[in-house]
Formats: sequence, C-alpha cells, structure tokens
Amino acid sequence: MIPFLDRPLVQFGLALATVLILPLAMRSGTLASEILIFGLAVAACNLLLGYTGLLSFGQGIFFGLGSYVAGLGLMRAGLPAPVMLLLSLALGALVAAAVGWVSIRRQGVYFVMLTLAFSQMFYFLAYTFSGVTGGDNGLLDIPRPRLGGTVLSDAWTYYAYVAVLFLVLFATLQRVALSTFGRTLLAIRDNEGRAGAIGYPVRAFKVAAFAISGAVTALAGALHAMLIGVAPLSNIDYHTSETLLIMTIIGGSANLFASLLGAGAYLLAADALSAIWPRWLLLLGLLLIVITLFLQRGLWGLIERAVALVTRTPPPAESLPLPLVGRGQGWGWRRQPPPVEGHPATPTANSSPQGGGGQPGARPAPEANR
Amino acid sequence: MTYLFQILNGLGLGMLYFLLAVGLSIIFGLLQFVNFAHGAFYLLGAYLAYEGVERGLSFWVAMPLAALVVAVLAGLTERLLLRRVYKLPHTFHILVTVGLALVVQELVIILWGPLGGNVAPPEELSGVMILGDFVYPEYRLFVIGFTAILAAGLWWLLDRTRLGAIVRAGSESPSNMALLGYDTLRINTAVFALGAGLAGLAGALAAPIRGVEPFMGVEALGIAFVVVVIGGMGSYAGALAAGILVGVAQSLMATLWPEGARLVIYLGMAGIIMAMPRGLFGRA
Amino acid sequence: MRDRRAFLKTSLTAATLAASGVPISGFLRSARAAEGPLVVGAPLPISGAFAANGKYASLGAAFAAKEAGSVLGRTVTIADIDTEGKPAPAARKMQEAMAQGTRLFAGGILSSEALVMGKEAAKSDAVFITTAGADEITGSDCNRGTFRWTVPTFGAIAQTVRPLIAQMPQAKRWYTITPQYVFGEGLLSAAKAVFQEKGIEHVGNSYHSLAEKEFSGYLTNAIAAKPDVLLLLNFGSQSSDALRQAVSFGLKKRMTIVLAWASGLEQFEALGADLCEGVYFGAQYWHGIDSPLNKALVAKVRETAKMTPNYSFAGSYQITKLLLDAATKAGSADGPAVIKALEGLRYAGLTGEEEIRAADHQVIKDYYLLKGKAKSAMKDKDDFAEVIQSGKSFLSPEAAGCKMA
Repeated sequence: MIPFLDRPLVQFGLALATVLILPLAMRSGTLASEILIFGLAVAACNLLLGYTGLLSFGQGIFFGLGSYVAGLGLMRAGLPAPVMLLLSLALGALVAAAVGWVSIRRQGVYFVMLTLAFSQMFYFLAYTFSGVTGGDNGLLDIPRPRLGGTVLSDAWTYYAYVAVLFLVLFATLQRVALSTFGRTLLAIRDNEGRAGAIGYPVRAFKVAAFAISGAVTALAGALHAMLIGVAPLSNIDYHTSETLLIMTIIGGSANLFASLLGAGAYLLAADALSAIWPRWLLLLGLLLIVITLFLQRGLWGLIERAVALVTRTPPPAESLPLPLVGRGQGWGWRRQPPPVEGHPATPTANSSPQGGGGQPGARPAPEANR
Repeated sequence: MTYLFQILNGLGLGMLYFLLAVGLSIIFGLLQFVNFAHGAFYLLGAYLAYEGVERGLSFWVAMPLAALVVAVLAGLTERLLLRRVYKLPHTFHILVTVGLALVVQELVIILWGPLGGNVAPPEELSGVMILGDFVYPEYRLFVIGFTAILAAGLWWLLDRTRLGAIVRAGSESPSNMALLGYDTLRINTAVFALGAGLAGLAGALAAPIRGVEPFMGVEALGIAFVVVVIGGMGSYAGALAAGILVGVAQSLMATLWPEGARLVIYLGMAGIIMAMPRGLFGRA
Repeated sequence: MRDRRAFLKTSLTAATLAASGVPISGFLRSARAAEGPLVVGAPLPISGAFAANGKYASLGAAFAAKEAGSVLGRTVTIADIDTEGKPAPAARKMQEAMAQGTRLFAGGILSSEALVMGKEAAKSDAVFITTAGADEITGSDCNRGTFRWTVPTFGAIAQTVRPLIAQMPQAKRWYTITPQYVFGEGLLSAAKAVFQEKGIEHVGNSYHSLAEKEFSGYLTNAIAAKPDVLLLLNFGSQSSDALRQAVSFGLKKRMTIVLAWASGLEQFEALGADLCEGVYFGAQYWHGIDSPLNKALVAKVRETAKMTPNYSFAGSYQITKLLLDAATKAGSADGPAVIKALEGLRYAGLTGEEEIRAADHQVIKDYYLLKGKAKSAMKDKDDFAEVIQSGKSFLSPEAAGCKMA
C-alpha cells in the first residue's frame, strides 16, 4: 500500500479527474454515463465487501429496485426526477436493511448463499408481478430528467447530470468510510468477535452498512433506467449481482476509487471485446482467472505497483496481506484449529481495507502444508 | 392419483439432482471450496456424452466415458489451477470458478456451436412404462434405479472404505491428516475429480432427457446450490434427502402452483438457512 | 412470372439509379464520398443465451448487404451490434450507433430487447425493423420508427389451430402448455378464442416460468387430462425441451402434438428428425416455401455459404433487404424518408406477396403449418418437414391496440 494514494483528497481527486477526462477520451456519452452509474453501484458493493467483509450476491436486488422506482415513480406517479431519486434512496435503504437484517444472521458461506437466495426470490417476484414491473418486457418509455425546462436527451448532458450525482455520492461514501462508523466497520471486518466484545453493536452496524449500500445502489439503478429508457427485468436478475461483484473484485476492494476503476475497465473491455469477437466471455473468464492468480489487489494493485516504481517506494506485496491468508476461515461449520504459536504466517497488525474481505477473523493459516 | 405420479416423477428428478449436488457438497466438505464451476462439469459431461453418441458409440459406453473424461479434466484443473487458490479468501474461490465456468461454456460453443442437440435414449430404454392411465419413460425409470445403485456405492465408498475415512477425517481436520502423514494434496485432487466426475455423470445421464445446450450448466449450478444448502454442506445424506425433496417439490408445484415453483424453492432455501443453518443433515 | 418481372424492375431501377449516380455526381462525388458507406446496424444477441439465433441472423444481414452491393451510390456495410440478449446493452449500444449517425437498424430477436430498441429508434427519427415475437411491437407499443416482419400471435394461432381443427374433426379435447408472460398469454388467449368459436373443449393449461427446463411435471398434468391434442405455446429452447420430454413420455402415440411457434430449421436440427416426425409446427418461414425470392435465396445461399437458410438467417436477410430497398425507393437513407417508403409497401418477399401495413407497421405475410417428416422420407439433410398449408390472418390495427403517435 502506498498511504499517499489512499488519502481521501487524492481519492476524490482521482474520481474528479476521471469524470472530467471521460468526455475528452470517449466518443460515447452513453457508455461514459454507464461507467459512472456502475462505478457508483460498485463503490456501494465495495462498502460491504471491502469495508465490512460481507460478500453480497444480492446487490442486483437494489439495482433493479431502483430501476423500477424510476419507471413507476416517473410514469405512474408522475414524480419529478429529484423526488423519484430520493425515493429510490429511501426504498433502497429500506429493502437492503431488511435483506441485510436477515442475511447477517448467518456467516461466511451461509451468508453468501442467503443473499443468493434473496436475489433469486426478488427476481421471481419481479417476474411474477408483471402488472407492476412489466415482467419480461420491463417498464418502457422512462423519460430522461428535465433541468430548467429542457429534457436531458443528449447523451453528454445527461452525463453531466450523472457526474454531479456521482461526485456527491462518492464524497458521501468517502465520508462514511472515514467516519467513526466506517472505522468500526473495518474493525468488525478484521475481527468481529473483538469488535463485539468491546461493546459495538455489530449487527446494527452491518445492517446500517447494508442500508447505505442498498440506497446508493438503488439510486444507481434509477439513473441507469433513465439512461436507457427502460427498467428491464435483467436489472434485477442474478447476473447483475454477479457482474457488480466481479467489477468490485476486478477493481480491487482497497478503496472507493478502485471501484470506479473496476466498473470502467469491465464496461470498456466488454464493449470493445464484444464488438470484435462473439466469444468474448471466454476472455472475460480468463481475465478472472488471471486476476485471482496474479492480481489479487485488483487493478488498483497494478496502479500501486506503478506508482511505487516511479516514486521508488518499496512496492506493495501483490499477494494478499497475511491476515487474509487462511483457508476457509469463518465459513462457519468447521471447528477452527487453535492458532499455532510462532507460526511464520502469524499476521501483523491489519491496517487499511484490504482486498478480498470476507474473512472476519485475523487468524494464522491453519495448515502448514498448503 | 396425479399427485402420486408427480411424486414418482419428482423422485426421478431428485435422484438426478442428488448426483449433481453431491459432488459440490463433498468438495465443499473436504476443501472448504465453493465451486461455481460445478455446473460447467455437468455441461461438459452432457456434451461429451452427446459427442460420443454422435460418433457412433453406444450410450452405455459414452456415458461412463464422459464422466471419466470430466473427472480427469477436473483433476488436472485442480492440480494446475485451483490448488493455488484454496488458501485465498472465498471471494477468490468464487471469482476463479466463475471465470472457469465462463471459459468452459464458451469453449463448448466454439467446439459444438451455439445450437444444442439431441441425445436419443438407448434403444432398449426408449419405450414407456404404462401404469393404468399414466405413462412413464423407461429411461427415467432407469435413471432412478441407476442413481440409487450409484448412491449406495458412493455411501459405501465414503462410509466403509479407507478412502472414505480419510476424506471424512480430512474434512474434520486437514492439518491432523497432514501430521499423520497423509498426502492431503493428492487426496484433494482425487476428491475434486470424483465430485466433478459425478456432476459430469449427471450431465451425461440428463442428456437424453434434456438434450444438450451450452447454457445448461447455469441452471444446474443454481439447483445444486439449493440442494447443498438445504441438505447441509458436506453432507452426503443431506444431498440425497434434499435432492429428492427439491425434485418432488418442483414436480408437485407443477400441479399446485407452477408460477411460484422457483419462488417456493428459494424461499425454502432461505428458510432452511435461517431455521437450521447446517441444513437438514449438516453436522453442527 | 409477375414476380420475376417485379424483381427485374426493381433491379433495373436500382441499376439505373446507381449508373445515373455516377455521371450526375461528377463534381458531387466528393460530397458522396464524404457520406461514406451506408451503415445498417444489426442489433442481435450475438453473445448470451440466444447466440445461436444471433449468429445466423448476422449472416443473413451480411448476405443481404453483399447482394445489394451499394445503395444510393454508397457501399452497404453491416455493423453487428451485440445486444447480449438483454435490453440494457441493446438500448445503450443503439444510442451509441445513432450518435455515430446510423439511422437504419434491422435486428432484435428477443421481444424485450426489440421493444426497447424500437423506442430508441423512434426518439431519434431512425428506422428499426425486427423479427421479434411480442404483439406489443405493432400493438400497444407501436411507434413511427418500428416495423415488424413476423406474424403476431393471433395469426400464428389462426394458421395452426384452425386448419388442424378442420383436419381432425374428431379431436375435441385440447391441452395447452404456456410460458407465463405476455407473449405466452397472447398465444393462449388467441387459442382460447378459437376453441370457443369451434366448440373445442379446452381440457387444461399449465403455466410455467421462463426459466423452466423440466416439463415432466406439466406433461403428467397433461396426461391426466386425456387430451386429443397437446398444444405447446412456448418457444425457442423451451419448446424444444417440452417437445423432447413429451415424446419421451410416449405422448406422440397418444395424442397429436402441435408446436404453435417453432423457430424453424435451427430447431429441427437441434431436435433431430425422429423427434419431429408427425409433429405439427407453426412457422414464420421455411426454406421449402415456393416463392421466387425464396427459391433464389435458398439456391444462392446453398451455393455460396454451403448451408440452407434457416429462420434467423432468412428473417434477418428479409428485413435488411427491406430497409435497403426502401432507401433505394426513397432516394435517401434518412429515417423519415425510409419510413415513408416502407409504409404501404407491397413487395415480392420470401413468403410471396407481402405488404407493410401503414397504420401499425406490421408486415402482412403468410404463416405456415408444417408437419415433421419421417427420416426415410427426407430428400436431403434439411428436408425435415412439409408445408401443410399457409395463409394470412391479422387483427386490424385498432384491434391490435396500435395508436400511432
């Protein structure tokens, strides 16, 4: 890690620079808007994965929910766009809190499976109640927002609208991460038992993290529906959850800018590759394998290495910090072997958010032979 | 009467689901590894059986051969790739196996085309059993019987043999196994290959019922997870009971409330995790 | 004969136009060159679960472009747009293509993506012509920019269920299996209306979800109802699964099986002749259709591409050709001009005489009832079925619910 890069102002500066560079570097305002929208949803996913250690397969629920709020709010209820967006925040928070409240009662892989089950349930709910959601056809004719009497139908004007909201929410998420609340989340991620023993209401904190994440994701979903003019069923399906998770890991879960990086890289690569080769998903699959083997800190890890090279600071280790090395810890059903005294892999203090997450205990690797 | 036949039919489905899920469960039990590529092995098994039959092999040869090839390929994948990943957090287990599943799926499309195909059931089982007003395909009856024998064999393997004892002990405490001088690496590879081979066998057995198409692995993975979670991760008996439970539930729902079939299955899955997180048969 | 003359006339007109373009343009040539090639966007599910359809449709569009060569003095090129079979990428990539100046689009195989792309096209004065199935495309969600070649659910049922009722007067009991979403409901309600009119007993229906792959439960329901005819109202791989499993339950011997909305040759290939023998299929297109354009297409594709055009290929070929012909007729590749040229157009299409209804942009064309042949009766490897009958049945634009803005 390079502390300089993790400073909040530097992080925000990087996000701001990206927002300003995209219009200069890209031809398509639609794709640029999509990058920011997914960047937002991925940052929200990262709040759970990187900061709280919760691997949620249910982010698509909130994204799809936001899309439906946009469709129903703008068209059925005739709400103005800002009111609709606030409503998407509120409903996203509400549903996420409910899903989170149930899911966090289980840990490790059971938690993952619960979020997976919820994601499927919400998909089939949306599918079954087609009177509300439009079923497979989705909700069509969702209008772009108006600003001062003009509809933002031009791609780059809408990009500006999205960009402002993106920066505001990015900064807000940063504030959350840096607050006492955010630091407590890190403490919970690193050692849930200890955080609880100190007296933190661990569950309440996790539910709150879920609510914040769900609110931001739902808002991103609403922005997406206004971008493409439709709230499709596919926004709430399992693949949306999976894609958001993959983007998060590709970027790296070390900080919030990494999330924008992950969303951007995924979307740009998918756009370019799908135009060249119908079987581009094969390359995506290979990319995921390569990231697992060599780039566990994600693309952000690459940047850190590059900066380290330039500034001649010692490069960060590519492999994960030791506390996270440890097979299947916290997965719930196997008794943990006692820590081995003086084991070479005994961790040092765990500082900032690390890649991976999902390991509520900072225990040494239990098996020497692996 | 219809219900009775839906239950019989569900039993047939359930045995197939058991075969599909038991590998996932065993792999999880021993390796603490969540395998999102499990559906890909099922897909591969189905396509290899299809290829075998297309090339003029008898189904009776093609089916076990497909399972064997899948097992070998899975063993190689474990040795060359997945072994390096076990020690990483489970985020990366998911990432690498999702990647692997995508690679397999797209390779299948490249090799066999996107269209899919049909596998005729073996000649001697192509008829139907007539039971009063109802009919049941002989091939599906065979699947029930064959999987039942296989299930018994597997139980014997896991419960009565030295390998089974090693596997069970290994899933209790891998470090002790290493201390006792067992080559856990080789055991891991063998178990992974066995689990994947069973998925491949399920694919090959399902091919005459479902045909083959490149996206069949995704659906299979979803069902396998439901079965494993309901039955209890790492539990052999759980996979059997939950497989049959899910199969029968799905079949009955076709008569009772077909639109809600999936909803009920996932609701059941969430309910089980909440009420008995270790599943029906998981060890506490 | 008349068709050939019409064909000759069109080609002559095109040739004259192209030829006259050269001398007239003299100094205008640079302006023409600046316009560059005429790009037709082909938004298709090239990756994802419907990749099979996307692949052949992409070939069909390319074939039409190659055949046309140049239109209005501009070389025709096809821009494949991968919709991934999902509405969101479809809408986004459509917006991008339009931002780059593309105004003509032929594609959209899935209903959900086609609906969205039609909306996008209408927003920017572009033309989108599709082969997707949902009735709304030329019904409640019709708009100025969207055209559709495929026969809606009403006609698909009328041209399959009605002739079969006439052919089998003793078959009084029908059972249906329906996917639960708008498309399935459309087919089901059309079928119910015919049943009622003809005094057929509808002995039961099973709904299933779009994710369903296992039909044994529904087939058990169907067997219990003891029908004379099993009418499958799902499509694509679901109808293949349902048919495959129905045959394995021995239903072919107990009742007549009808698949109202088959995908064509690609489906026969995936199922094989043994399964299809004796089963009735409703189809939008079949390579055995006796029409001049179709015969020419089949001969040419067999010769150059060593394949027989299937439905995805032929449909995409036809709609791409329609756009290009309309642009030629309009003398312009601008959206509004092409729309005007398409409205009310009568032409010799793949299914014979076809006409684009101006009021709802629906192509009025034949729908086919096929019957699967025995393997021994097949003349070549693609001769899976014979055409039993064909005809045109359409609701009026008002009855279809189209109110064009």
